[in-house]
Amino acid sequence: MARAGGITNAVNVGIAVQADWENREFISHISLNVRRLFEFLVQFEATTKSKLASLNEKLDTLERRLELLEVQVGTASANPHLFTT
Amino acid sequence: MQLAADMQRFSRPERRINGPTTTHLWSMLKLLDVLVQLDHLKNAKASIPNDFSWYKRTFTQVSIQWQDIDSMREELDDLQIFLSTRWAILLNLHVEMFRVNNVEDILQVLIVFAVESLELDFALLYPERHILLRVLPVLVVLVTSSEKDSESLYKRVKINRLINIFKSDPVIPAFPDLHLSPAAILKELSMYFPKISAQTRLLTLPAPHELPPREALEYPSHDLYIYTYLLLLLKSTDGADIEWSKEVKGNMYDMVIEGFQLLSKWNARIWEQCAWKFSRPCKDAVPSESNESLASYSDYEKVVRYNYSADERKTLVELVSYIKSIGSMMLRCDTFVADALWETIHAEVQDFVQNTLATMLRTTFRKKKDLSRILSDMRTLSADWMANTSKPEAELQSVQHSGEEGKGNFFYPRPVAPTAAQVHCLQFLIYEVVSGGNLRKPGGLFGNSGSEIPVNDLKQLESFFYKLSFFLHVLDYSVTVSTLTDLGFLWFREFYLESSRVIQFPIECSLPWMLVEHVLESQNAGLLESVLIPFDIYNDSAQQALVVLKQRFLYDEIEAEVDHCFDLFVSRLSDTIFTYYKSWAASELLDPSFLFALDDGEKYSVQPMRFSALFKMTRVKLLGRTIDLRSLIAERMNKVFRENLEFLFDRFESQDLCAIVELEKLLDILKHAHELLSKDLTIDSFSLMLNEMQENISLVSFSSRLASQIWSEMQRDFLPNFILCNTTQRFIRSSKVPLVPVQKPSVPYAKPNFYCGTPDLNSAHQSFARLYSSFFGIPHMFSIVRLLGSRSLPWLIRALLDHISNKITTLEPMITGLQEALPKSIGLLPFDSGVTGCMRLVKENLNWGSKSELKAEVLRGIKEIGSVLYWMGLLDIVLREVDTTHFMQTAPWLGLLPGADGQILHHQDGGDSPVVNLFKSATSAIVSNPGCPSPTSFCTMSKQAEAADLLYKANMNTGSVLEYALAFTSAALDKYCSKWSAAPKTGFVDITTSKDFYRIYSGLQIGYLEESDQAPSNNREVLGDSVAWGGCTIIYLLGQQLHFELFDFSYQVLNVAEVEAISVAQTHKNPHFNQGWEVVLEAMKKARRLNNHVFSMLKARCPLEDKVACAIKQSGAPLHRIKFENTVSAFETLPQKGVL
Repeated sequence: MARAGGITNAVNVGIAVQADWENREFISHISLNVRRLFEFLVQFEATTKSKLASLNEKLDTLERRLELLEVQVGTASANPHLFTT
Repeated sequence: MQLAADMQRFSRPERRINGPTTTHLWSMLKLLDVLVQLDHLKNAKASIPNDFSWYKRTFTQVSIQWQDIDSMREELDDLQIFLSTRWAILLNLHVEMFRVNNVEDILQVLIVFAVESLELDFALLYPERHILLRVLPVLVVLVTSSEKDSESLYKRVKINRLINIFKSDPVIPAFPDLHLSPAAILKELSMYFPKISAQTRLLTLPAPHELPPREALEYPSHDLYIYTYLLLLLKSTDGADIEWSKEVKGNMYDMVIEGFQLLSKWNARIWEQCAWKFSRPCKDAVPSESNESLASYSDYEKVVRYNYSADERKTLVELVSYIKSIGSMMLRCDTFVADALWETIHAEVQDFVQNTLATMLRTTFRKKKDLSRILSDMRTLSADWMANTSKPEAELQSVQHSGEEGKGNFFYPRPVAPTAAQVHCLQFLIYEVVSGGNLRKPGGLFGNSGSEIPVNDLKQLESFFYKLSFFLHVLDYSVTVSTLTDLGFLWFREFYLESSRVIQFPIECSLPWMLVEHVLESQNAGLLESVLIPFDIYNDSAQQALVVLKQRFLYDEIEAEVDHCFDLFVSRLSDTIFTYYKSWAASELLDPSFLFALDDGEKYSVQPMRFSALFKMTRVKLLGRTIDLRSLIAERMNKVFRENLEFLFDRFESQDLCAIVELEKLLDILKHAHELLSKDLTIDSFSLMLNEMQENISLVSFSSRLASQIWSEMQRDFLPNFILCNTTQRFIRSSKVPLVPVQKPSVPYAKPNFYCGTPDLNSAHQSFARLYSSFFGIPHMFSIVRLLGSRSLPWLIRALLDHISNKITTLEPMITGLQEALPKSIGLLPFDSGVTGCMRLVKENLNWGSKSELKAEVLRGIKEIGSVLYWMGLLDIVLREVDTTHFMQTAPWLGLLPGADGQILHHQDGGDSPVVNLFKSATSAIVSNPGCPSPTSFCTMSKQAEAADLLYKANMNTGSVLEYALAFTSAALDKYCSKWSAAPKTGFVDITTSKDFYRIYSGLQIGYLEESDQAPSNNREVLGDSVAWGGCTIIYLLGQQLHFELFDFSYQVLNVAEVEAISVAQTHKNPHFNQGWEVVLEAMKKARRLNNHVFSMLKARCPLEDKVACAIKQSGAPLHRIKFENTVSAFETLPQKGVL
């Protein structure tokens, strides 16, 4: 790239650059949209996870309640004679 | 190492090829930087020479068998010399450069470039800035190797400029845990390069480099930035108009650049502060732990742990959170802003290439062939002429039209960025245009006035030139952001690990953990939300360890530390949360009037903190793992609430019954805290936890931990050792040594947050509780009723009633023993013998001298029965009050109206009660509405209303506990009725009988009244008023009240004394007639008053007289007593003790 030389075949280079612009527009368009797609997936995962977490939380409390109730029922059914009167 | 020096040799000639481009300059600078860093690392780390000498020794031993070892040994020697010489690479480089001539030019160019970039401070991200700062002193050293050279340098760059740069940044970070000081480099190397020693002396005085208080600086820019950024994002979403959206996109580009610059500035600050701290270890010992000598601290502790003040930690946390928040925000918008950025850059480039350059070509450069060719090259390389064609035809027309008469070409925006090659080419070409390839030009890059290019164009070129250098960063958006937000360097400390010869430092020394700890300790509501931010540092450093350094062991270390830290953090955090909610609840439950009257009431109020943001953290990303912080906290909260309940019960069990008020208060606080917390966090319901900890979940058990504790406490301590004071309605502990020594576990220790939160609140609540701690009265009974509830209370009552009947059974043989010791018949006391005579006569009759033990035993038994009965009386009062309140609340709903005579009337219309009606009508209205989603649930609700109505109505008229207890007692007494009240054979009152209970009791009574004369207030202290309650109740229930009132010894003595007093008063013979008896008489009067009180109470609560009256037959012969229908077995409805 000598200073004095410049680009010898300016027209050809210009055409090539122009074609390059076009191609890259296409490529960047596609790549951007693919990235957006992935971003959506990531976000979807995030929301799903947080929803699952809240569901999990509710299930946890329910489970503990259920355990307690089971114990209560167990005490009651272990002494059936108390309920026969 | 050797390789590096070789590389340097190779790199020499290559530099002179083409005129250097900017990229070229940069790569040279970077190469130099790497060399400097390597050199520095070699200087600082002792391990490399150490390892090598070890290797060499081994090698010498091993190599004996080999041949041809001379060359190897030579090489090794070289290597050792190289390793042991400081700045060996630099010296080598210097020597090499002297061999090649003309390097000074390029070095000067490099210096100029570096200085200008530093001074402009535009388009420089912090890593580049640091590179320049590191390289600059070395360059200066290299250039000024001779007098002539240095002069020529100072001709181009004034020495003051250099010194200013060095002064403003006296310490530069080289590695995460290593720093570099330009002044030190210059000073050290000036031994080899004596020419600049004069200048370096100036530099050895480092400017006072204090870190500015950041808040004033950062807050506005941070907040402003976030607001504008969000605003822009909002705007851009609905941008339809092209012109307008172009403007918005331009703004967006500006915002992104600004964001980069902010991030870079902040991150550089942190780096620099870090380096500064490393270079200035804490000098003085920490005052708080002064007993430890400074020598015991490792270097790292001096440098990090004690080197950051609280304010500095706070600002560091804030800064880190700024960086992280903006960084994550920008990363999130990556794809969102990408096309806007591309479009803007495209537009900028095209605008420059197509318009500005075209203008320049037409005007300025028309005559200069060389320059204009460069310019047209630029156009060829990067212009996007055809972008216009992709538009609709009509628009194109108009655009072209306007473009012709407007300011040049209009081009259609195309969201495509120029390639890196294009950018580099443009940069190079502009540089060429401006400098004309002449390196020796004086002045700066764009500052040369000697060029033929007009100032105006120069300006345009210059601004575009710098813009270009930033385009690359912008195009590499996500990488730039993550570089700029990478704070992993805060963790690394290998250098200090090696120098202190330890495997790992304690966690308190770790900077991220220090920050977390500071946030937790500072109790600063604003800071608390960024408590998780320091953990991001671990993420960064783990990333760096794996991706950049590629060292598995570092990652393992980080992982271990993170595991440890996070556990610690969660437990500390939940502790803080619990304490906060506890003290909040405690301060809300303090009496407001008390607070109002207090001067320093503020210390009981709680600083509001917001944990809600932390409670929303369900996905904390940590080293690739996703952690649900919320569920972790909830889990711990569930646990800590249970532990606290356990502790409260333990504490109650180690105290006496009077502590029940305190227990209730503490439970209330806990419950309130639970209520407050469960607004933000889902935790188990309080009643569930309470039941669990009370061991009360069984459906068929009515006892609970608390109830059985109350009961055993009453049995072991309360009934034997407490005495009743009838006037104050209180039981107090007898001051005598307890007859039954009570063994109790010691009060368990707990942190203040298991009481009320903060120590201040603890003492406040403690002083309230202390008021109730030494007696048992109505408030305690209220607490018992509230704590036990309708579930366990009947169990307790049953236990107490059983206690009464047991006591009576045990008393029976003793009373029989006393009965046997009495004479067959006891007559009335003669009035003529006076008080003294009467007392003597009584003593003769009551010849129980040998049975004083038995006497005391019987008295105690009677006292316990009386205590239980009085306790029931208190319970009755409290239950009445509770029931009344309850009734007042439910009556309007149940449709109960007060009648004219005070009786309860039921609702007139005879239909359902208001609550049922209400729900019924509501249900029908809702169900009739077709839009109702679930009519069944409303039907259920109305059914439930009916059930509630029934339940509440059934509970309307509850009986009196006291009456029940009295009935029970009388039923229990029935067994002994024959023994204790012999029915008179004549059918009339038997005066002389000695077998009846009342005789025993009056004998006991006069006995202890007399004793109280001899040892004043002795018996009262032991027995209290409950003896009267117990005795009188038994007498009353046996139907012997009238007998007692007539034939009681003390009553008779009182009568005698009265008569005597009148007669003495009439005769005036002896004013001090019954000297010595006043005390006894006074005590007797008191006893009579008390007995009367008890009898009247009993008459009111358990009327017997009518039954007695009924019992007089028509023949006139009275039946002694009607037998009650009640037997003990009739009371089986109460739950029995011992049933599970």
